[in-house]
Amino acid sequence: MTSEEMTRKVKELSGQNPYLCMQCGLCSASCTGIGVMDLLPRQVMRFLQLGKEEILKNRSIWMCTTCLICTARCPRGIDIARVMEALRTINLRKGNDILAPEDVPAELLAEIPQMALTSGFRKLSA
Amino acid sequence: MGIPYFPGCTLHVKAKGLDDSTRATLAALGLELTELPEWTCCGTAFPLAQDNYMGMVASARILAKAAKEGDGRLVTVCSFCYNVLKRVNFALKNNDEARTKLNAYLEENYNGELRVLHPLELLRDDLGFDSLKTRVDRKLKGMKVACYYGCMLSRPAKEMEFGEPENPALMEEFVKAVGAEPVDFPYKTKCCGSYQVLNNYDLVAGRVKDILKAARVRDSEVIITSCPLCQFNLDWLQDRFADEDKSFSKIPVLYFTQLLGIALEISVAKLGLDNHYVDPKPLLQAG
Repeated sequence: MTSEEMTRKVKELSGQNPYLCMQCGLCSASCTGIGVMDLLPRQVMRFLQLGKEEILKNRSIWMCTTCLICTARCPRGIDIARVMEALRTINLRKGNDILAPEDVPAELLAEIPQMALTSGFRKLSA
Repeated sequence: MGIPYFPGCTLHVKAKGLDDSTRATLAALGLELTELPEWTCCGTAFPLAQDNYMGMVASARILAKAAKEGDGRLVTVCSFCYNVLKRVNFALKNNDEARTKLNAYLEENYNGELRVLHPLELLRDDLGFDSLKTRVDRKLKGMKVACYYGCMLSRPAKEMEFGEPENPALMEEFVKAVGAEPVDFPYKTKCCGSYQVLNNYDLVAGRVKDILKAARVRDSEVIITSCPLCQFNLDWLQDRFADEDKSFSKIPVLYFTQLLGIALEISVAKLGLDNHYVDPKPLLQAG
């Protein structure tokens, strides 16, 4: 996938314009998953603006909890959670995922509410 | 015929206490629920990719069926179900492409007419909090309660219409109506880490610690929620935290309907209070 194709696909899947981002960093300061991310959400937006394809391989898109705090706070009105989902979706539709059923520890599986499995696998599994 | 009610997958199994306490408390207050026939999973997570209509089909089917059942309302209590049903309903009402595709796929003609309601809204609008105040005894008087909405009830604000996206107030109004005292709780809509519990323990443990600490510093005696996944994440990890840190003090995490049940003096057996990791029974001695 060329960088132009990637940018076009992300715009199409997310319905968002990444060039609106002014790099204020409020999304990063607010993000639930920030402690375990490699790139901050602000950096994900910047890499996207610059058309860097490696953004498809970053860890942060998989640490997103879709809690929509970034979306609620973005002063430029970008639905950042949709951008994160677009980057996940491009991967998932190629079969690139990060969560397999066998990865879930049996002791957790015995306790966890069903909805965690359906939502988790919908977001993180191809 | 009661108000059509969608329990959702988790409420028949792991969050039976939420289902039982919702039905028992609303029935005691004259709000009878009737479970939808032939319901399925709602899909749990609203799809955020613009072309992912497949991720909306399950909710659309439930909504279209529910529209034929009752009085134009659908009640659901799990925060995930409430979020996805309400968002798909919004899409069916406001997004021409979603409406056309989903109706064509399901062979339905449903246009988002239904009102998807949370029991907190029913209590406020159908019963009224003033009326609720007269129905509870003084059992919860002075009890400090942290209202934890999590991320699903109030966002996105335009679609959920559940108050301010980061500062909703409905649960606090409810707590006051049952005679307890809501604490000022800035972490009320911070995410607990959600389904990342499957994928990254550190993420969830970190967020849960922050939320519990914020509740503790305000002397909260209990945290309430309407989300089975928030309830699980906040409750389940506390044993581990207590093992790691001897100074850690546990806080019970209840469904708001269980707190309501205690206030209404509904028998404990009907409230599912036995299925918690942090024992909430000492709360029953309060008041």
